[in-house]
Amino acid sequence: MNGRSGAFKFFLFLFLVVIIFLQFLSMVQADRLYDRLNTLIGRLESRASVPTRSTEKPTISATSAKEYPGNEGDWLVRSLDSEPATLCDFLVSSTWPTRYIVLYNIYESMIDYEPDDFKFRGILAEKFSISDDGLVIYFKLRDNIWFSDGHPVTTDDVIFTYNTITDPNIDAASLANYFRDVDHYDKINDKEIKFYMKRVYFLSLGYLGSMTIYPEHIYKYKDAREFNERRSNPVGTGPYVFEKWDIGRQVVLRRNENYWGPKPKIKKLVFPFITNSTAELQSLLSGKTDYTRPVPDQYSEKSNDENFKKNFYCLSYWDAMNTGYFWIGWNQARPFFADRKVRLAMTHLIDREAIKEHILRNPEARIPTGNFYIYGLQNDPNIKPWPYDPEKAKQLLDEAGWIDHDGDGIRDKNGVPFRFKYMIAADLALHEQIAKLVKDAAASVGIEVILDPYEGSVFFEKAHNRDFDAVSMGWGGNVEEDPYQIWHSSQIGNRGSNYVGFRNSEADALIEQARQTLDTDKRNKLYHQFHRIIHEEQPYTFIYTRPEQRFLDKRFQNVIVHKLGIDEREWYVPAQSQKYK
Amino acid sequence: MIPTLLGITIVVFAISRMAPGDPVALSMGPGGMMDAQRAADVRAARMKLYGLDKPVYVQYAIWLGRVARLDFADSIKHHRPVIDLIKERLPVTLTLNLISFVIIYAVSIPMGILSAVGRKKFLDRTGSVMLLMLWSLPSMWVGQMLIGYLCGPPLNWFSPAGLSSNEAEQFPFFQWLADRLWHLVLPVFCLTYAGLAYLTKQVRAGMLDNLRADYVRTARAKGLSNWTVIFHHAFRNSVIPIITILATLLPAMFGGSVIIERIFSVSGMGLLAFEAVTTRDYNVVMGVATIAGVLNLFGLLMADIAYAMVDPRISFESAV
Repeated sequence: MNGRSGAFKFFLFLFLVVIIFLQFLSMVQADRLYDRLNTLIGRLESRASVPTRSTEKPTISATSAKEYPGNEGDWLVRSLDSEPATLCDFLVSSTWPTRYIVLYNIYESMIDYEPDDFKFRGILAEKFSISDDGLVIYFKLRDNIWFSDGHPVTTDDVIFTYNTITDPNIDAASLANYFRDVDHYDKINDKEIKFYMKRVYFLSLGYLGSMTIYPEHIYKYKDAREFNERRSNPVGTGPYVFEKWDIGRQVVLRRNENYWGPKPKIKKLVFPFITNSTAELQSLLSGKTDYTRPVPDQYSEKSNDENFKKNFYCLSYWDAMNTGYFWIGWNQARPFFADRKVRLAMTHLIDREAIKEHILRNPEARIPTGNFYIYGLQNDPNIKPWPYDPEKAKQLLDEAGWIDHDGDGIRDKNGVPFRFKYMIAADLALHEQIAKLVKDAAASVGIEVILDPYEGSVFFEKAHNRDFDAVSMGWGGNVEEDPYQIWHSSQIGNRGSNYVGFRNSEADALIEQARQTLDTDKRNKLYHQFHRIIHEEQPYTFIYTRPEQRFLDKRFQNVIVHKLGIDEREWYVPAQSQKYK
Repeated sequence: MIPTLLGITIVVFAISRMAPGDPVALSMGPGGMMDAQRAADVRAARMKLYGLDKPVYVQYAIWLGRVARLDFADSIKHHRPVIDLIKERLPVTLTLNLISFVIIYAVSIPMGILSAVGRKKFLDRTGSVMLLMLWSLPSMWVGQMLIGYLCGPPLNWFSPAGLSSNEAEQFPFFQWLADRLWHLVLPVFCLTYAGLAYLTKQVRAGMLDNLRADYVRTARAKGLSNWTVIFHHAFRNSVIPIITILATLLPAMFGGSVIIERIFSVSGMGLLAFEAVTTRDYNVVMGVATIAGVLNLFGLLMADIAYAMVDPRISFESAV
């Protein structure tokens, strides 16, 4: 054996040794994290100084399944398409995955919407009310409630949560914005608190009541940095407790055996991060995950597949809390779009039914006529969307004076050709497809559209600076919302969200009046009027709003679609079909 | 090396700051629910919080001062030290890359030698065609196809995402290792197949040059065995280009692959750097770029040393 070949073998051997060693290291590291977490949980449990209920250690073992007869047990493995940056739902860096993981599972709020009605019900709060003048908001917490470590929930925790969110050094600015109307609070006793408002605002009760309550004894900080950096190990009142977060892989929650309310049946929630939608579907099909959010194509394909439907639920439901809408905004600072007729013509030009059918491939999607949740009470159901009518569009353009004077195939007025840039976010394929459809439709009537894609951060910057002709974007929605930030004329410029420059004194007056109207019916009447103005003026062309779609393994039972969406905590798996111990 | 490194940091710093947009604008998003004046205040406060309100050269000086103390500052998005983020993601990337590089070398070198020895014969031809075909397949597509066909029913051969099973923690060591290796198959394959063609061609070309050389003819004329001639004489002289490629490995190992990581839902260095760039997380970008720069320079240095080892004609003595 000569030397060269020996050296080669040596290096090969060395490489293999290094690989095995690295595997070993990563295992050791995983073990260490696990240990650290266990000691941390232990410490948290021992720190609970005034337990109202024995903090028995939950036993998760193969035998414990027998202790719970019937339908208790099993895991719900729900894939998320990205890893959250934090598990603290206050912070600006929190994302959808953050909310999917912690909201209602780990953290709970004082009040929340009834699942089948647009009314509030108490969660941690036993009583809540808003005074007739709308300036005093009162909460009374339930008596027998405690955090997962056994520490009772008191108004001190509510105050701590409020103070944390509004602390300027805490990275929670967008949430803190909701609490600007609070003048001061008054702690009556450990269970009762009053918030005094500076002005009447119909959303104040909802904002204050839906704060997720954080335990003061665990999160108390001296330096705001401490709180900002605490991204993991969440502790709250909810039915699940944090077990671990394997970076880059998954977050695991286990059932809170010390929960103050009725315990959910499912014992473990696992949230693996799968960044590739094909892999997400394959994971579901091969049984590695139970619950996933398909992309539109996958849903339209699989929901017609009888074989698939034998094993999986295809859930399509309106999630009132989160259903947003997608729109194209026409910048009214541009010569073309200052004219209502031109905006209306643009709406008539775009075949929104075709977008629904061929791009979204979702027959349940709807064309909104305004900015409110379409099945909500603020929305006026009598307003019908403008129809697809290119002839009408041409007529409107002619009336507005946009006529092809010089015969170059492009309409013009006062020497300005009708040529505009249509800004889209570069990484959203759906937006790009819609933009192409718009471009074709516009070309057919003599309008030239130049697609103008930008990467996220530039896109937002340009939108904020109103540096665009037309833009496509989506706004999130809620059961009830206040159109002020997006439609009031004071929000034009200076980083306000009225990007298109919508200015209508009647609409301004309605928005201002509605904000201070506490009577729901009266307020909604005002919003119906506002909705009508938006419909007539068409500052946006509203493209679509669509239901949420999910695939879920059929071993889960009691899957109910409520008016406000679905609640995973109601589900269970019958003992004989349970998969995980 | 130090001036080069400084140059790298200045260029990366300048490019990242010149890119339009900033982390604050991005994390605040479209800001639908925020009052205009309030949004402007919040933005100003957060720019100050992250030190982005200072002039760029001051920011650079501050950053450089911290790096000199081996402190890569905190990620703006994650509120955590950059070095921690790297530590979490590096093992995965290293595992994937080490395995795939070993496989690439283990396959390419013998393939290259065999093709050179049997030049224009069956093995050379078919081998070249196969490798070039593999080389021309985009890994993005191959990855999707592999996941689409091999990972679900009916075949169910591999796992579509991640590096271990749901219950992996409960496994004993060897089962855990087997599970991990089983999960590594597809990502490693995707990282490997395209690299084979390039290296094989390099080895083949180097070997051909040398096999034609006079000293090989002399060696054969001396009556040395074929294998001795190939390995002892020709191959030894063909190693130099391979070493040059090896030198670039060090930073590549650190870098990871955005595409592979995304397709197989593996969170490694590639995605970290990619997300940092798209969210304008300046400190992470700078941290990753600086460490990659150091490794690159180090790799080149190692290559120079290795040249001298394999080829006695190259020496650093004469330069002195």
